[in-house]
Amino acid sequence: MADVSEAAAPLGRFDLTRIPAHIWVIVVLLLLVPTFTSGFVQFQIFGWAFILGMISLSLMILAGYGGMVSLVQMTAAAAAGYAVAIFGASAVAEISFAWPWPVAVILAIAISVLVCVISGALAIRTEGIYTIMITLAIGSAFFYFTRQNYTVFNGFTGFNGVQPPQVFGVTWNDPTPFYYLTLACAALSYFFAVYLARTPFGLALQGVRDNPRRMAAMGYNVNAHRLAAYAVAGVISGVAGVLLVWSTGQISPNTAAIGPIIDILVITVIGGINRPIGPFVGALIYVVLRTYSLDVLTALGLDGERFKLLIGMAFLLIVYFSPDGMCGIWDRYITRLWRDPKREGADG
Amino acid sequence: MADAQSSSSTAGPLATAKSRWWAAGGVAALVVLWLIFAVWPDWLVAILGRKKVFVNALLNGVTLGALYFLVASGFTLIFGLMRNVNLAHGSLYLFGAYLGYEVSRITGSWLLAFPIAFLAMAALGTLLQIFVFRRLDGQDLQQTLITIGISVVLADIMLWIWGGSFYQILAPDWLSGPVETFIPSSVSRRTGELIYIKYPAVRLFILVCAVIIGVGMWYILNRSKLGMLIRAGVDDREMLAASGVRIQLIFVSIFAFGAGLAGVAGVVGGTFQSIAPGEDTRFLLSSLVVVIVGGMGSIPGAALGAILIGCAEQFGSVYAPTYSVVLTFVIMVAVLAFRPQGLLGRA
Amino acid sequence: MAEAAQAPRRDVGAEFALELTGLSKRFGALAALTDISLKVRPGERRAVLGSNGAGKTTLFNCITGDFPPSEGAVRFFGEDITRFAAHERIRRGLRRTYQISLLFNGLTVFDNVYLACRGVSAGRFSMIGLSPRDPLTDAADELIEIVNLGEVRDAPVADLSYGQQRQLEIALALAGAPRLILFDEPAAGLSPKERRELIAILGRMPNHIGYVIIEHDMDVALSVSDRVTMMHNGRIFKEGLPDQIEKDPEVQALYLGSGHD
Repeated sequence: MADVSEAAAPLGRFDLTRIPAHIWVIVVLLLLVPTFTSGFVQFQIFGWAFILGMISLSLMILAGYGGMVSLVQMTAAAAAGYAVAIFGASAVAEISFAWPWPVAVILAIAISVLVCVISGALAIRTEGIYTIMITLAIGSAFFYFTRQNYTVFNGFTGFNGVQPPQVFGVTWNDPTPFYYLTLACAALSYFFAVYLARTPFGLALQGVRDNPRRMAAMGYNVNAHRLAAYAVAGVISGVAGVLLVWSTGQISPNTAAIGPIIDILVITVIGGINRPIGPFVGALIYVVLRTYSLDVLTALGLDGERFKLLIGMAFLLIVYFSPDGMCGIWDRYITRLWRDPKREGADG
Repeated sequence: MADAQSSSSTAGPLATAKSRWWAAGGVAALVVLWLIFAVWPDWLVAILGRKKVFVNALLNGVTLGALYFLVASGFTLIFGLMRNVNLAHGSLYLFGAYLGYEVSRITGSWLLAFPIAFLAMAALGTLLQIFVFRRLDGQDLQQTLITIGISVVLADIMLWIWGGSFYQILAPDWLSGPVETFIPSSVSRRTGELIYIKYPAVRLFILVCAVIIGVGMWYILNRSKLGMLIRAGVDDREMLAASGVRIQLIFVSIFAFGAGLAGVAGVVGGTFQSIAPGEDTRFLLSSLVVVIVGGMGSIPGAALGAILIGCAEQFGSVYAPTYSVVLTFVIMVAVLAFRPQGLLGRA
Repeated sequence: MAEAAQAPRRDVGAEFALELTGLSKRFGALAALTDISLKVRPGERRAVLGSNGAGKTTLFNCITGDFPPSEGAVRFFGEDITRFAAHERIRRGLRRTYQISLLFNGLTVFDNVYLACRGVSAGRFSMIGLSPRDPLTDAADELIEIVNLGEVRDAPVADLSYGQQRQLEIALALAGAPRLILFDEPAAGLSPKERRELIAILGRMPNHIGYVIIEHDMDVALSVSDRVTMMHNGRIFKEGLPDQIEKDPEVQALYLGSGHD
């Protein structure tokens, strides 16, 4: 990353310097989070939000850059999680191969890429809104299949007792190490997504989003670009899937049931589907609401179990009034804040 | 690929390919008819098991297909005519089912559940059309996202009202119990007479209703003046609006009818299956698969897709229980790979 | 313009840049094109005239591979490209513009032109960030200057005026190493001033780049072309030098009678 940014630096708009100062403030704050929060917050709030954020980021790359709303990203992450449990070690010793963890992780990411690319190959044969329907059908087929298949996926119960490796003598699913692990992965994938937008591939992908027919008329193989985008998204959701299974130690069909599949879409849209930071904002909002929904809902005078109602209403309001999500609302707020003093100055 | 293109450029090979498909279809139909009506010889029983199991799976598949058709036909009607993707269609199904349950429980009338579920869901569909699809005309993605949000909210509201327990709508006496069909299962060893297969009357009744509704929809759309008007409006809205036809009224009626069908399907599903949380997504998904396989927007396609998927599920669960889902999935993948527009979809 | 038209042009080896033989296109029962045969020499500037529905845009779509012809063959510099995918034709030097704007509205002017340059060179899947040392960056900036869009280089396409969008459209077609460009009504909807600018831009094009231009405006068409082809009802009706066509009584009757604007 470092020397790439140096190479591009003179032009000043293609690289990491495009990331505004307040993002760097956030980065420093995030690095310091473990000094002032409990293990619960580090692990259950931030760790989970980073993982969901990465899965949503893979959707954001497909939807925001490529115009393909794929609902198969949670499934790809779950497939990676299953791969870690099956090729690595788990409590279900009769199925798991207990291969060394680097092998299992690499295979896991490869399988996530494969799931994404195969789904993509089926979905890109049709246009536009069909993608949602086809990927949703593929995702649910995976869910029902893992629930019924016992020889490979161990059916309804799935796998438990999946432990992250002991590298450098650190227990990686302890709150603070796990916090930094997920933070590192999330930050890397975030910066990658920002960087990607100003690469020939990223630009071409946005061109495909705006006008696939014209892209073909300019010499691009549109479908190949779409498939490549699915592969890139598959890498990110694969890494997230590995982290997911390490965090909870278990993976089952319910990890990628219809609910979680829709949740990824909800998270991405609430945060903002057009920019890389959106998924992480959405994920943090989702996780905080989910964790503290009991308190929030009782404060609102509602039944504490109505989390889905709360998040569903939030989603509806966002889609209806701010299609670019919370980030869009924030932008408009900031521009108004900046514009107002200027106008006053001009008047005075 | 090259072969396919060169053969399609001339009319001759295309015609023979088409007639070959017809011949294959004819042979398959004859085989199925024979499997249904013949008394099975012993070697066939050795391969496939008892005939009764086979015919039951077939009838279950077809009647399940009828239910899938009722749900999916509303979905595909709305999509085909207005290009609106309503992912809250499964919620309309489940809501209709709960309403039907309440109506039949309170009034004791099964038949009354149908019109009430239809009207209630049609009203809901009208609201959806006016406040979501008309207001966000042309914004496919936003429409679809909103219907997803609505389905999440509706699912939680229904869970709130009816809880997590299972309900079933009771069929009236005149439809409960089995009836004897005209399909022979085996020859009685004692008397030498044919033994006929018995099958639940309510399922056959629903099959007949689905056929009537399906044929009716197809007829109205393709053969009536109203259908011509609707299809013209789909192709050229401005032209039709300019000619004084109240196109918005037509659109809202179609949407209401499609939504109402989902409600009716809910009562049907609640009678021969059960009503519980999660059934909304299950039927939304089955509708998606059915229209993907059959061809988006095609009523005959929805019928074909529904029967295929229904049979795949039932035969799968009888003959290969672990892989029944895979079978459905394989059908969908095969269709997407070789005919992305669906079996009867327009290219 | 007359001088430019008569200047000798570099021959690129093949006798014809574009050669259509017996091209037909049917949509169901509707015959959009019937038995079109057309030869365009390398570097030649050809105008295609005809009323609405004469099949001009359909002809372009068949040449660029947007949809395949029902019958007939398309040869490009001697090579049969009838069955090629759109992107393969582009890489051989065939370009087109569109009647309606088909630009990338979410991207800037520079991004649009850069994409066009990148589309006909290697590295379309590169995930290394854009850099000023990239020769394509210079190539894109050069094209932006050619079509006079330097001032709006970093503006989103959605913010451009209609005339500017048409100019950008031409820049996209000029990217890479075009050998033949198909212009689909580039002057439609332009103000008189913008029209003059367009004619100037076309006149500034290097001699070895030929083009076929669809144009409603007879004056524009005749001033930017060496030869003129007149189409009517999906067939070729007349072909000749600009003054011949202009004076042809049949063409006049047809053209004035068709009630074009």
